[in-house]
This record gives sequence, C-alpha cells and structure tokens, in this order.
Amino acid sequence: MLGEARAMCCPGCQAVAEAIVDGGLESYYQHRSEPSTNPEALPQALPDEIALLDRADVQQPFVEHQGELAQASLLVEGISCAACGWLIERHLRELDGVAEASLNLSNHRLQVRWADSRLPLSRLLAELRRIGYAAHPYTPDEAAERLHQENRRTLRQLGVAGLLWMQVMMAAMATWPEFNLDLSAELDTILRWVSLFLTTPIVFYCCGPFFRGALRDLRTCHLTMDVSVSLAIGGAYLAGIWSTVTGVGELYFDAVGMFALFLLAGRYLERRARERTAAATAQLVNLLPASCLRLDRDGQSERILLAELRVGEQVLVQPGALLPADGVIVSGQSSVDESLLSGEYLPLPRGVGDAVTAGTLNVEGPLTVEVRALGDDTRLSAIVRLLERAQADKPRLAELADRVAQWFLLVVLLAAVVVGIAWWQIDPQRAFWIVLAMLVATCPCALSLATPTALTAATGSLHRLGLLLTRGHVLEGLNRIDTLIVDKTGTLTEGRLTLSSVQPLRDLDADACLALAAALENRSEHPIARAFGKAPDAAEHVLSVPGQGLEGSVGGHRLRIGQPAFVAGLSACTAPAIPGDHGQWLLLGDEQGPLAWLVLDDRLRDDAAALVEACRSRGWTISLLSGDSSPMVAEVAAQLGIDDARGGLTPDDKLAVLRGLHERGRTVLMLGDGVNDVPVLAGADISVAMGSATDLAKTSADAVLLSNRLGSLVQAFDMARRTRRIIVENLFWASLYNGLVLPFAACGWVTPVWAALGMSVSSLLVVLNALRLSRVQAA
Amino acid sequence: MTALYVMIPVAVIVVGLAIWLFFWAVDSGQYDDMDSPAHSILFDDEDPRHQAGVEEAKGPGTSERDAPHG
Repeated sequence: MLGEARAMCCPGCQAVAEAIVDGGLESYYQHRSEPSTNPEALPQALPDEIALLDRADVQQPFVEHQGELAQASLLVEGISCAACGWLIERHLRELDGVAEASLNLSNHRLQVRWADSRLPLSRLLAELRRIGYAAHPYTPDEAAERLHQENRRTLRQLGVAGLLWMQVMMAAMATWPEFNLDLSAELDTILRWVSLFLTTPIVFYCCGPFFRGALRDLRTCHLTMDVSVSLAIGGAYLAGIWSTVTGVGELYFDAVGMFALFLLAGRYLERRARERTAAATAQLVNLLPASCLRLDRDGQSERILLAELRVGEQVLVQPGALLPADGVIVSGQSSVDESLLSGEYLPLPRGVGDAVTAGTLNVEGPLTVEVRALGDDTRLSAIVRLLERAQADKPRLAELADRVAQWFLLVVLLAAVVVGIAWWQIDPQRAFWIVLAMLVATCPCALSLATPTALTAATGSLHRLGLLLTRGHVLEGLNRIDTLIVDKTGTLTEGRLTLSSVQPLRDLDADACLALAAALENRSEHPIARAFGKAPDAAEHVLSVPGQGLEGSVGGHRLRIGQPAFVAGLSACTAPAIPGDHGQWLLLGDEQGPLAWLVLDDRLRDDAAALVEACRSRGWTISLLSGDSSPMVAEVAAQLGIDDARGGLTPDDKLAVLRGLHERGRTVLMLGDGVNDVPVLAGADISVAMGSATDLAKTSADAVLLSNRLGSLVQAFDMARRTRRIIVENLFWASLYNGLVLPFAACGWVTPVWAALGMSVSSLLVVLNALRLSRVQAA
Repeated sequence: MTALYVMIPVAVIVVGLAIWLFFWAVDSGQYDDMDSPAHSILFDDEDPRHQAGVEEAKGPGTSERDAPHG
C-alpha cells in the first residue's frame, strides 16, 4: 500500500487492508492519525446472528422506511480517528443500493439510507466488518434523546440571544448620552421601542431557563445564581418598559442581551462537554448476547432472539459465547470466565449439574444449558438493581460556586435595600434608578461564568490525557477525597492472563519450550492462547480436548499442553505435582515425558505502584476490595504496600464496606471495572471506571479512564487541584469586581455604559483565566 | 437621519431572516458534529470533482505516516 510493502501482524489486519486497498480507498492510510483497532479485538458477530437482523420484526424498532429507502442509525465500534469516518462513508456509498451514509465522529453514530430490497442490512454490516469495523443497530434511549433535544434548544436560545443582542445594542446605545450626537426626540422614542421589541424575545425565549431555575430554587428556599440573574434581567426589562413608555430614565436593554448571551454561552459549553461524554459512554449496555441457539426436542439448534427464549428451554452455548440466561448445565464440560461478575481472575471449571450465570463467558467446550431464570430474575439483574439503590443514596458534594453565590446574593440584596432606603430620603425621584443600576451592575455574570468555563477547559484537557469525565462534580470533588477503594482484577492488574514464567523440566531451554507451546496454542481459540504470542513454527493436527488441553505435532514430535494428568498421559508417566499455589500452571510434554511448566498469571499494571504512591503522598487511606478469593489478593496488596486488602467479597459486601466508610464521614473515590464493582461505583462519592471495563460499569461511574493508564489518574488529581485554584481565583476576581462597582452604583455614578464595560471586562478576564487550564503537559 | 426610518425595519427583517436560517441549521443537525467536517477537507483530493487540485497537491515527497496495525 502507498507504493510499498508493509508487514501485517495477523490475517485479520491483512484481510482488512486488502479490502481497503482493493476498494481504491488507500489514502485512508495516508490521512489517518492513529493506528486503527485490530479487527480481532472487535466483538465477534456470528453470521447467523447478523442474518437475524434481516427479519422485519427485529428491524422494526430501529429501521424507518421512506418509500423504497430504509433509514437506520448504527453505532460503529473500532473508530480511532477522522480517517475512519471517511473510509466508512466512502466504502458504503460505493455499494450498490446505498443512497447516503454519514458518520458522526463525536458519537460514532452512522446514519445510513439504503434500498433494503437490493441490499439487506446484514450485507451492510458484513461490508463494515470487511473494512475493520463492527456496527450494531442503535436505538436511542430516552435520556440520550432528551439530552440531545435540550442541547439543541440551548443552542437556539444562545443564537437568538446573540443575534438580537447585537441589534439591541446598536439601538439602545444610540440613546445613551455618551453616543447621542443629534438624535431627535422622535427618533429617540423609535429607538427605544425598537429595542424593547427586540429584547422581548430575549427575555421570554432565551432567559426562560433562568426564571424557571430561580422559581424552583425560591420554592425550596435556596438563594442561587439563577435568582440573582433573574432579578437583574427581570428588573432591567421591566424598568426598560417603563422608560420606553414614559420616555424618561436609563435604558438597560443591552445589558439584558449581554447577560443572556454570556450566561447561555457558559451553560452551552458545559452541556456540550457533557453530551460528548454521554455519547462516548452510552454505548450499548451489552451484557447479554442479542441472540442464542435454542435446542428443540430433536437436538436441532436454531438461532433466536434472546427475547424469544423461555424458562425451561435448552440452549447451546458455543465456546467463546456469553451465557444468555441463568441455568444449569445438562451436558458438556467447560470452564466459565466469571471475572466480570465475581472478580475471580481464572476461568472456573464447570460440568454437568453446575449452575451458570447469565453474562459470563463460556471458555472451552460447548455447553447445553437448561434455562432457569431470564431477564429480571437473573443474578445479573440483581446487581443492576443494587446499582439503582446505591445511586439513590449517593451523597452530593456541594459546589463551591453555589455557596459563594448564596453569600453574594445576600450581600447584594441587603445593600440594595439599604441604598434604596437611603436614596429615598435624599432624592425619591432617583432612588429607583439607582437601585436598578446597582442590581444590573452587580449581576453575577462573571461569577456564574467562573465555574463552567474552568470546568469545561479542564474537562477538555483531561479528555486529551485519556480521562473522560461524565459527571460535573468530579473535578471539584477530587479535592475532598480522603479514601481510595480499588478493585484488583482488571484495575490494578491487567485483567487477563499473561505468561509470567517458564520452568523447564528437561534439557530443552525456556525459549524452545515457549516456542513449542506457542505453536500449539496458536491454533486454539481459547482466551488463554493469546498469552503465548506469535509462534515461529506452525503445529499440525492440533486437537483440543475441552477441560484438558491441546494435542498436536510440531516438527514431527507429538506434544501435549494443558492439565498435568492429560499431558503425562502421552508419555504414560505419573503427573508431577503443581509446584506453585497461584496462577494457572500448564504442563508441556512430549512422548518422553514432561518438558516444562508454563505459569500464566494476571500481571500488575506498570503504573499501579505510582498511583498508590501518589494517593499515599496525599494522605489518603487505600483499601483493596476484590471479589477474587485467591491468595493473589494478599500478594498484590503486599507488592503495593496496601494494608487493608479484602478478598472474596460479593457486590453486597463491597457496598457494605462503602456504607461503613460513609458513616465514618469518609469521602470515597472508587476505581473499578467489573460488574461486581458497579454498585460501589454508583454509590461512591466519585467513581472512575477503567476504559476496558464493562459498559454497565462505565455508565454508572462518574469518569472513565479511556487510556487505561493509571498514570492519567494521577495527572487528573493535579488537574483537579489546579482547577480548584483557578475557580477560586475566578470567584475572587468576579466578587472583587462586583464589590468595587457596588459603592459607585450606590452613589449613582454608574450609567449603562459603565455597567456594560465593567461587565464585559470582568467576564473576559474570568474566561481567559479559565483557558489557562486547557494547556496541558504532554501525556 | 431619514434613512433610519428605512434602515431600522430592514435591520429587523434581516435579523428575523438570520434567526430563521440559524434555526434551520440547528434543526438539520449542522451543529451536531463539530469534529468531522474539519477533517473531511483533507479528503477532498479524493473527490473526482476536485481533480484539478490533486495535480497541484501532488508535490514531491508525501510524508510517510505510522506503520500498519499492531
């Protein structure tokens, strides 16, 4: 490609690259800025499961028909940079039958319109997979849809405020004595009426959210920023009407427009940041497979949708597939990976009569399972319900700006009353206008921009570091954390088995043994096989014995790898005892006897120690809570120097520990990844899910560590500190300005010109100060 | 100053048009994706309608990017 030969790491990448180059889309490689996702890392979709999507009743929720064309939204996985978007759009548009394809890069949604009589949906998905992307039908959930609608409305309000404000400013400024050159009395009246006419939509359409917010807060007896803003806007508008009708007094209409524009801009920025993160985490909550293989009485399997499955029926679960329901194994022998549910890091052997849980992964051999519980009755749903309960009693961290606003408003209102009474004694004619000027001049515009701009800038830089904040309180709250709870499997450790040592038993050295083992394992689909890496030679006649191991021949020698007894069976000698106590021990042997032990273990992440160190230097207490009951928990804790480590905990136990900490007044940061961590993630003051975590964990956490680098989290702690400093600075500047202008306003020296000037300068200062947070050290 | 009697209504009408246009743009989803359009111009060279630009753009030495997968 691009005129030169390139080495490919695997057949998957090669197939994708060939499809791309053959399609004349080679310049994808020229423009991409990130290496793309390995196609083998994408979730595997079974051809017959995709075919199920062609059924009309399955398509009904997400496909719309307009004449001959069908329209659907697809969620695409595997997008790494902008070039992917181009590649997908171009490739689809070249297909016969596709009328339009457009990909939204920020939320990875593909809108496609195509003639489904000529091109079935399954073909479309297969084409996407051919160029290296996995796509699922996307049905927007209600919350996402509402958020989207609200964002559009906020944007409309912002635009209207901006456009109208500019006109109002021109009309209103012409009437100010500073700019009034030779305006006739008639024109003055016209300009006043024009600005009233243009301001009215600003007040009633754009400022609606402030008034509603103020009403809500007054009803609950809270003084917030909204109350203060509404007072200034409402006061300025009403006084404006009065002065328009009577033709006397100052005109503050331009201030109304400016407030609306600045405040709405702050809110819109915050919303955009939030919608982006919501889109990034609102992937499918995909814990259960979409379809399953049902067995009928004759033992014939048929692929059906999960919704069509009933209790008491039997399903066939292929190796590598998720279990669709809770049930009991009626035939077959395999091991089941329950790490996401329980935190156990090794697949557990399961045989006839054993109970299995929905959402766990069948690793080795095919299983026939009789369904005992479905949907809401499964253990998985019980955890989800626990999550909802935990979310309900999540403590709220009060925000700094709210408290400042409360004091600020009290001071302003008191001052307004005092000044009003004083002027009433001196000059009743001017009293009203002076109080109004005070309210307008002290409108907490800069004050309410102080926090959102700082948070938005900091959120943006953290995103670049690989930490995605999904809820607003994280940055402020991080400064108040004093306890860290971490999960082990997948959080402190990599969460997958890696080869930790090779112990040769005969004359062959470790490298040679590893090469032989890798040759065998490369032919296996078992997840363990990936730990062995690439093999220089290929094994032949490889046979997999579920629950036992692999047998095959390399260079003419017959070899076995797997359980000691199985391997020893080849040379008819007795199986040696496993020398260690943790990890997974595999024996490699040939016809003469055992060759080597290969130890597979879950490795600590490289930066786990740095994270623990950073937390300890901040004086936090660290607890390791794991669902894993193996001695691995104690060992990890010892390695990292964590004193409080507990293993074998159920999600309930973990939640109980969290409650205990809350009762002792602790503020807790939770870092986890599995479904078993979900209730604690939802209940902790602040929770961070790993990027490799389950979807459910990601959606219930306050932040997602997309990069999976624990180091980014340490940077986030620093960023939180800087953000807090900037917010405090901003609040200080804003209050200083308002405090300084208050006496001048009280003396009656503030005219609309000075109010407008002071307001814009103080707001600009605050925004520029916040932008300092968007500078970020290279990650 | 009499010009103002015409200019003010015109300004109001222009603002009305601008708002209508803005609403249309928001509703048709033009502000939904702020990321991809910035990149899409990079690919204009591929568009057959832009072939004239391609000759120009084919300067010496297109820089090599990252290695393929893996």
